[in-house]
Formats: sequence, structure tokens, C-alpha cells
Amino acid sequence: MSTIDTLTDATRTPIRWVTRTLEQRLLSFVAVLTAVVLFVLFYYPVATVFVDAVVDDGAFTLEPLTEILTSEFYLVDIIWFTAKQAFYSTLASLALGLPAAWLFARFEFPGRETLRSLTILPFVMPSIMVAIGFVATFGRNGTLNRALTAVGLPPVELLFTLEAIIIAHAFYNAPLVARVVTAAWESVDARAVETARSLGANPRRAFRDVVLPQLLPSVGIGATLTFIFTFASFPIVLALGGFQLATIEVFVFAKVRDLAYAEAASLAVIETVISLTLTAAYLSYEGRQRAAGGAANPLPRQSVVPTTWSPKSALRTVGIAAYTVVVGLVFIVPIASMILASVTGADGGLTLEHYAFLAERQATGATYQVKPLPAIWNSLLFAAGTLLVAVPMGVTMAILTTRRYRGRTLIDALAMAPFAVSGIVVGLGLLRGLVFGVDVFGTRIRVTGALAIVAAHAVGAYPFVTRNVAPLFSRLDDRLVESARSLGATRTRALFDVELPLVWTGVVAGAAFAVAISIGEFDSTIILAEGAGRYTMPVAVERLLGRRLGPATAMGCVLLLVTSVSFFVVDRFGGRWGEL
Amino acid sequence: MSGQRNRPENSASVKRPNGAKRPSEEAESFTRRQKTERRDPGGQPVKLELDGVSKRYGTATALDSVSLTVDDGEFFTLVGPSGCGKTTTLRCIAGFESPTAGTVRFDGESMDGVPPEARGVGVVFQNYALFPHMSVGENVAYGLRFVDPPGGVTRDERVAELLELVDLAGFEDRDPDSLSGGQQQRVALARALAPGPDILLLDEPMSALDARLRERLRQQVKRIQSELGVTTVYVTHDQSEALAVSDRVAVLNRGRVEQVGEPRDVYHRPHTEFVAEFVGENNVFHGVVRRSLTGQRASPGDVVESRLDPEGVVVEVDGHSFTLEGVDKSVGESLTFCVRPENLRTGTETNQIRGTITGTEFQGATTRLGLDWEKTELTVVVADDGDTTYEVGQELVVGFDPDAAHVVE
Repeated sequence: MSTIDTLTDATRTPIRWVTRTLEQRLLSFVAVLTAVVLFVLFYYPVATVFVDAVVDDGAFTLEPLTEILTSEFYLVDIIWFTAKQAFYSTLASLALGLPAAWLFARFEFPGRETLRSLTILPFVMPSIMVAIGFVATFGRNGTLNRALTAVGLPPVELLFTLEAIIIAHAFYNAPLVARVVTAAWESVDARAVETARSLGANPRRAFRDVVLPQLLPSVGIGATLTFIFTFASFPIVLALGGFQLATIEVFVFAKVRDLAYAEAASLAVIETVISLTLTAAYLSYEGRQRAAGGAANPLPRQSVVPTTWSPKSALRTVGIAAYTVVVGLVFIVPIASMILASVTGADGGLTLEHYAFLAERQATGATYQVKPLPAIWNSLLFAAGTLLVAVPMGVTMAILTTRRYRGRTLIDALAMAPFAVSGIVVGLGLLRGLVFGVDVFGTRIRVTGALAIVAAHAVGAYPFVTRNVAPLFSRLDDRLVESARSLGATRTRALFDVELPLVWTGVVAGAAFAVAISIGEFDSTIILAEGAGRYTMPVAVERLLGRRLGPATAMGCVLLLVTSVSFFVVDRFGGRWGEL
Repeated sequence: MSGQRNRPENSASVKRPNGAKRPSEEAESFTRRQKTERRDPGGQPVKLELDGVSKRYGTATALDSVSLTVDDGEFFTLVGPSGCGKTTTLRCIAGFESPTAGTVRFDGESMDGVPPEARGVGVVFQNYALFPHMSVGENVAYGLRFVDPPGGVTRDERVAELLELVDLAGFEDRDPDSLSGGQQQRVALARALAPGPDILLLDEPMSALDARLRERLRQQVKRIQSELGVTTVYVTHDQSEALAVSDRVAVLNRGRVEQVGEPRDVYHRPHTEFVAEFVGENNVFHGVVRRSLTGQRASPGDVVESRLDPEGVVVEVDGHSFTLEGVDKSVGESLTFCVRPENLRTGTETNQIRGTITGTEFQGATTRLGLDWEKTELTVVVADDGDTTYEVGQELVVGFDPDAAHVVE
């Protein structure tokens, strides 16, 4: 048997045997490596936080935990407030996102596709930059108050209020709701509605009986995700609420800043447990609701401008126009305000003094002061590092999560856990563990701040790679790989020759996400960059914000530019956002 | 069969080229000895052997101790209803699945632990599975990345050769998506054959095509197969397809082999009730042998009467008596026999059945009738002379010759 001969030939020379075995086992090898990396970069740090919460001076204690859980301050002012703002934010996101889903799914208008793909934008926007935008909008001298003063109305104080936080959260999550619900709406088969109509249902009734039941699961998914994300929201609340309106995350950060690690860890544990429970509930719900995908006959779209005018259609057109204004206010004004504020002087005139300030700081600033160029350099460096770690990890996870094997659900859950655990917790764990130093077999192992930051970013970014790549993998026919293998390709060759070229758009999109997330990451970076010279652009923005708004907005604009470039890459190579 | 026995000279070029890398003389003579030892009665060396192959998924058994041999150059078909295990069998041969028990052997050598890429098989799937990011030419050339083209030609020459073989000469630069289903399937066939596989595995390759195209492609596959003389295992659920192209057929049911044989044999002499009903249409009767026609009367329970003369017996089915010939059963034994619809004839005097027509289907040259008889639904096929009409509810008398019945297990 000729082919066997080849095999025995190969086993004769050790080098060929090694390369061949490596080729055959590469996938398992990378999988194990991914598991190890995930353990070191994620599970170990998180475990460190859990241990920190219950071990004091080497003795087991529940004191910090019980202290928090019996304290009215923590229960009402922190935990209850966190849940409350998440709930209101969810309602606001639904209110803002559902009309968009209706417009995207049922109407035809110029730029619909572009707008739809732009709904991904908030996801890659650095949250601290959005926060800055809102400060520039709602602040005492913000765009809103300027506009109010211009028309002779009294100014309003929205900064450090719950409303500002909720609107900023809607900025992030309404597009998510819109995207998820649009996808469900587009998968409703027009024939099902036509059948209902032919059976005697009027349009309203057909909507209620046929369309709505198919939309509700997606509304539920959008709402749950929004709640999970806003429950763990950090930079927005930090910038817009300060420590007066603190969520659990913000308070963990405050405690870390005060070096009260045990308290910080206990709070982080409580938050993680709540987040993981919510995520587990979400995942089981999502698993049961998975839609079949695009319908063969989607519902027809109509023009936004009615062809025949009636009181009803006029009312609808007015409604759509009003909604467009609200969307403009929520999504465009904050970014525009930030740009505007960066070129507005104290006297209200146009100026470049804030950029000049950054340049001057770069030239003459003291070592402890934040300089713009190191921030940009660090951001790009960490992004490159994140790319190198997160892309192979994410692709491997995508392969593992699209296979059928025993215990897959467990692997899925373990792999997706970083999605649900906040950056603050990972950052804290990395700080307390690897950065402070760990004893392994008598050797003290320490990781520098830069490596820890890359690790935290990679852990946060790789689920996005997986989420971009996995749907493409699952759409690949197993027969393709089997064909390649029967033609003589090893499993690894088949991966490189057949699978990767076919999921390449997803890999590139995932990579762009990873870069964007790394550049915008704030939660763990601010913990790990604390005190060190390892600050990134978002951290620089936050530090500058503590002093004056102008330079912070200027730095924010730099951040916007870099993020826009990475979004351009996402939009250029990707184009499949429905799954996220 | 005889067509494959004298394989054309160029068939050697189709063999997997790393076969040329014979390790040593001893190994070769060993292989030859193996081959000469393992011969089936037909005289062809055994190419492929499944020895007690079982496949279980958890508690579900997909294959239950399947044993088969396929001769060198043979066109062998696995046929059965969906879920019978035919595709699992094929996947075990290809190496995509490993058997829970039993062994797959190529040329007498166990394939345990041999990955698909080292088995030298060509696989064609129902959905073509062409690589969408490669041109037709790149698809066909893919297998040549791992082996040199057989016959000492260049890659491009080999690709052109194969495309010509499947009547797609000059299609190298086309995009697979731009081809029709039939063309795509021929590209898939060319791709599977390009490296010169030892065994060609076809997994329901025609199922996605329309009836006419299927018939044409079937002829083409059969022609190419006999030209190249490549051992072929073909999986289909379509029994008529199986009968049309195969040298031999294995009928599978619930993970077991029901019968293996030449198409004619399987059609006319089914071993089991399942085969009788699955291969072609059949009317199955369950009855008890009441007496022999060689003279002696025997009553049920009369054990003194051992074996009857196979000349003829009277079988009772639901109170009706039928005369059968060529039956090897004792009086009092129950038996199952079947009669093909075309053998239930209106003019036949023996073994008459009086039933009520429950449905008619005009099929051109013939008309297919459903006949209600003793609460069982029989199928009758009558020649359509253009004059006789059959109405639902009408009474009809048909009969069959004593030798038209075939006893199954």
C-alpha cells in the first residue's frame, strides 16, 4: 500500500517524523497553548481576586464579604444603584434602539446599509472618549448649555446626574439593540404574514400574532446584553458620575487607588458573581432562541417618504423625522462637542491652544506628567501585542467552539467567560498576582506592567475575534476539509489551504476589533498603568480630564482619529456584523 | 466485471504515484503475496475489506459488525434507506470516522490509525464541496500539491487530462460558482481522481441533481470508472441507481448488511423481506405451509414429514391457499414470500386474488394499481393498452404463476 509506505518512510527519519507529527498535531498544540494562556492571563488573575477577597494574612475569612453584604451603604448606594442605573439604561437603549430596528428592517432609504454597518461603531469607540464627548455636551460650558443660553433659556446641570449616565449608556447599547432586532426582523418570512392575512388577520393583528413573537426573543437578547454591559460599566460612570454616583466598578477602582485591596477584591467578587450569573442566564436563553437566519422572503421595505399622503402617513413621517433628530443629538452631538471643545478657547473663540498645550507638554513636561506621544506609542504598541496574542487565540477558540465533541458546552462557557468578567477584575487580578510577583517553585516570577496590559487587552479582545470568526467557521461545510484531507492534506494543511482563506474576512475584522478594543481599553489599563509610565491614550485622556477639559478633548480627538482608522479597516475587510 | 478485468494500460498511471516509491523488493513481494492469497471466487484480488466494522455513537449503533470485501477495479454500491449506515461505512473507509470495533483493510493492510490524507482515497460528496476560493483548475490540482502527478506529466497537463476526461476541457480558470450542479459534480470527480487514488468513494454524488442529469452523469461516472479501472465504492439511497451501475451491491439496513450480490441476483433473489421490499417494489405475504404437492398429506404438527420435495407446496395466507414452487420448507412452518407487482397479472388462472382497486397511477407504458386484499395493500403493475380502464372501487382479479413467488427470510 503506497500511502502507508510514505508513512513508514516518514517515521524512519526523526526530523521528518517531528515535522509531520507537529503538522498533524498543530491544532491540538495551539489549543493547549490557548488554554494555558487563558489560564495564566485570565483564570489565574480572577482566582487571585477571589482569594484576595476571602484570605486575610493567610487565614480564611468571610469578613470583608459579609461586611459589604450587611452594609447599607454598599447594598443601597453601590450595588442597588448599579442595578438601577443598568435597568434605566436598558430601557433607554430599547427606546432608542427599537425604532432604529424598525427603520432598518422595514424602510428603504439612501445610506441604509451604511448606517446599519455604522451601528457597530460604538462598540469600537473608546468609552473614555465617549465620556469626554458627553462632558463636552452636558458640562457647565458644554454644547447644550451654550445652545440653551443662545436661545435665552437658563442653563441646566446634567453632569454628575443619573440622566447623563443613562444617555451615554444608550449611546453604546441602543445600536446593539437595533442590530440584534433588525436581524430578527429581517428573518421574518413575508409569507408567514401573508398567510395570517389570508386567514383573516388585519395588518395590526398579523404583526401581533406573527411578527412580534419572532421579534421578542431578539428584544430579550438585546435587553439582557445591555443590562450586563451597563451593570459593569466603568469609564462612563467614572467620568459622568464621579465618585458621588458610583457603580461597583467605580468603587472597586476607588478602593484599588486607596490600596484597600481586600475590600476591592470582595466588591469585585460580588460583581463578578452577579455578572456571571446574568451571562449564564443570557447564554442559556440565547441558546434556546437561536434564529434560523435570513428569510428567503423578507418583508418588503417601504420608502420613508410616503407615496400617498394621509394623516396616518404624515404622522409617521413626522415621527421618523423627530426620531432622526434624537439620534443626531445622542450620537453626533457628543462627538461633535468633543471636537468643538478641543478647538474652543475659554473665551468661546476658535483656538488651537489645547493642541499647543499637548505639544508643549510633550516638549517640556516633567516625567510624572502625561505626555501625548508616549501615550500614542504605548497604545499602538499594546495594540500590536494584543493582535499577536488575541488573533491566534480567538481563531483557535472559534475552531474549538464550532466542533462537536463531548464537554463542548463547558469549553464554550470557559472561553467566553472573559466577555462577562470586567476589565477591572482582570486588571486587579493581574496586578495582585503576576505584576506584584508570584512564587513558582521558589522562583519569584514577575511580569512587567506592559506585558500585563497586553495580557489584559488580549483577554478582553479575543472573544471579539472568536465572535467574528466562529460564525464563518460554522458555515463552512465539513466536507471541504474532508475533501482536502482525502486529497492528501493534513489537518493543519487543510486549515491553512481551505478554512482560513474562507474565513479570512472574519479574521481581519476580528483583528481590527482587537486593535480597536486594545486602543480604547480603559478598565484594566488604568489599574495596571497606575503610577507607571505605561499610560495609553484613554488613560491620558482621563488624567488630563482631571485638570482641564480642553487638553482632554484634544487628546480625545487624537484617540478618535486612531480609532477611526481601525474602524475603517473593520469596515473595509469585514462586512458581516449580524452575529455579534 | 469483465470490463475491469482487462484494465487499460494507462490505468497504472492512475495509481497513486507514491506507489512508485516502492520501499524494497521484499516489501513488494510481500504485497504481492498478500494479494495473491486474498482472492475472492471471482478471481480478482481483494482491494478493500471491512472486517466486523461497528460504529457506535454513545448508545446509538450506526454500524453493527459490517463485513464486506470489494475487489480490485470493482464498482461496488452500498444502498439502503437514510440512516442505514451506508454513509458511516464510507466515512470509515475514508478515515473520517474510526470504527468502534473491527478493521478496515486496504490490500490486506489495516487502516487503523491511518489518517485520511495517507489512505490514498478520492472522495466525491453529494454537495460537491468544491473549494469556493479556488478556480476549477486549482481545485483539480489541489491533491497534486501533495503528490507528483501520475504518469510523469506536469500538474497542468494532469489537470487538463482530468478535465477532458469529465468533458470540461478548458474550464481551468472558471469559478466553481459559475458552473451548473452537474458541472460542479464533474469537477469534484476530476479533483478526486487527479492524484490517482487507489479507491474512489462516492457519497450520494447525484442526489442534488435532477433526474435526467442524474442519469447522464451516472453513465459518465460508470464509463470513467471502467476506463480507469479504479476500485469504486458508491453510496446511494436510490436502489434503481444502484442496480443500474454496480458490479455488486450491498443492501444495508439499520447498520447491518442484509445482502451482498450482483444487481440481478439481489433483485430476483432477495434474501430478506427488507431487501425484497427495498429493491424494486414487492408484495409480501406471510403464510404457513399446509401441504406438499408431492402426494403426502401432512397436517400441522406432523413432524414425521421432514423436508418436502421442493417441487411444490400449498401455503395458506389469511385463509387463502396459494401454490408455490421451489420452496424448501416443512409442513407447518411459517414462511414469507413475495411477488413482484409485474408478476400479478390479470390473465393468470393460478393463485388468483380478488381485490378492490384503491388507487390508479398512469405511468405511460404501464399503470400502477393499488389493490385492497384482506386488509393489505398490494401493488399491481399492468401494461397500458390504451383501452382498458381501471377505476377506484372496481373489483379486480389477478393471479401469479407458482414460480413467480420468491421465499425470503
